[in-house]
Amino acid sequence: MQTFTDAYRFRHVLLALTSKQLKAQYRSMSLGFFWALLNPLVMITVLSVVFIWFFGQGAEHPARVVVALIPYNFFTYCLTGCATSITNNSSLVKKVWFPRQILPLSIIVTNIVHLGIQSVLVVAVLVAFPTPGHILGLQLLWLVPLLALLLGLCVGIGLLSAALTVVFRDTQYIIQSTLTVLFWMSPVLYDSGGRFAGPGRPGWVEPLYYLNPLAGLLDSFRRVLFWGASPTPLALGLATLGTLAFGALGIRVFFRHEPDFADYVK
Amino acid sequence: MTLAIRLRDVSKSFRLRHRSPFLARELLRAVMQRPTRVEVFWALRHVSFEIRAGEAVGVIGHNGAGKSTLLSLVARTARPTEGELEVNGRVAAMLELGAGFHPDLTGYENIFLNGMLLGLSRREVAARLESIAAYADLGEFLDTPIHTYSTGMRARLGFAVVAHVDPDIIILDEVLGVGDAAFQDKCRATLTRFRAAGTTMFLVSHQPSNVRALCERVLWLDQGRLVADGPTEDVLARYREASQQLATRTAAARPAAGQSGTTPGS
Repeated sequence: MQTFTDAYRFRHVLLALTSKQLKAQYRSMSLGFFWALLNPLVMITVLSVVFIWFFGQGAEHPARVVVALIPYNFFTYCLTGCATSITNNSSLVKKVWFPRQILPLSIIVTNIVHLGIQSVLVVAVLVAFPTPGHILGLQLLWLVPLLALLLGLCVGIGLLSAALTVVFRDTQYIIQSTLTVLFWMSPVLYDSGGRFAGPGRPGWVEPLYYLNPLAGLLDSFRRVLFWGASPTPLALGLATLGTLAFGALGIRVFFRHEPDFADYVK
Repeated sequence: MTLAIRLRDVSKSFRLRHRSPFLARELLRAVMQRPTRVEVFWALRHVSFEIRAGEAVGVIGHNGAGKSTLLSLVARTARPTEGELEVNGRVAAMLELGAGFHPDLTGYENIFLNGMLLGLSRREVAARLESIAAYADLGEFLDTPIHTYSTGMRARLGFAVVAHVDPDIIILDEVLGVGDAAFQDKCRATLTRFRAAGTTMFLVSHQPSNVRALCERVLWLDQGRLVADGPTEDVLARYREASQQLATRTAAARPAAGQSGTTPGS
């Protein structure tokens, strides 16, 4: 409990670190926040061209990709940022006492700002390109729990990766290769919905696939924003369970080792 | 009198490792039930003492005696391996000059960051900003990023912030020897004012003159053990005697060899 009141007491430090990161990222760039949009914009354009021209996808493909790509980007930025958040601030950790969770949390808050900016891109693509479902509807309310789950997943995995990177120096490489696998094991470029039925596809594959909480979350985002429907219970249910599990694990590991971080960092 | 700091049979060990371990290898070893053997170095061994509120206590000892480790425990950046540690009151620790500064932020921004890391709220820092700026006396440099500062300038800014925190307990590790003579006088005057105001002081210094001027009591650490605890002049005299004896003995035993005391953890 004290860990949370500590974090609240140091909320101004959290905000200062966040604005520091935002400034550091954008200060030297004259186009400012445009850069936050450029990377996903380029990626969407390239993917759309490739998939529409060479893979024969329909004109709705940019919309299909963008609704999953932006949440996926948020997840990877949080994970890679949190992983080095303690080790990159070793002098601070060694010499000043403060609630250590401030460091990964400020990475997450920074990326929430980026997510906010990039959601403009999501809206723009959804307006400009056709979608199979009617998007404006009550199912949009699902975005609230979905965003909360995504955030919870990022906090849990972020805390876990931050603590592991402090102790084990190969954590970063493990994360890099895991992310490569995760990109294809999650429905970012393709739609996983309805792909699990049929000959040669046993029933246990679908629940196994959605054990990856990111897969369930991205599928749910796509159901809501692309198909104009509610998330499927299996995907959403397993994503919720996975998020709770990772959240509990991350919090447990982080706070168990937090008092000793200064002994490990260089 | 109330207790400010109490240590009861406190020990602190460090794992002697040249590099942090690999996660993959450790997992494999755990599965095969072959735990990694780690060498352990005891930086502090069975240290017990009490400091009453308002006392000013200096810590002396050779390099690697455990002085900095002791201070970092009281400052909470590390935790004891064994024993009990109790610290009552708001602690302002300066384990290193300029710790908690971010090189890319300006002097003013760093005043906020550092002040908040030392436990002030944003509003409290804002209220003291002018006074801190006047104390640091860095003029227009406060608007430029800290990486343009000299070591001395950084020290001035760091101490200026600490001088405005109004802590119950102030912890200083070897920070008085920096800056020009005028600034050192200013620091000493501030610390004398703190003492008069009833602030508990706990400091490491290699200069006996500083210890003599500020502390009424001295702890002498040698190889992690507390060898003396008493009035300043008594302990300083015994320490001087022991150092001279050691110097004569070393000179007699190894006339040609240089001093090579590399002990980790200092």
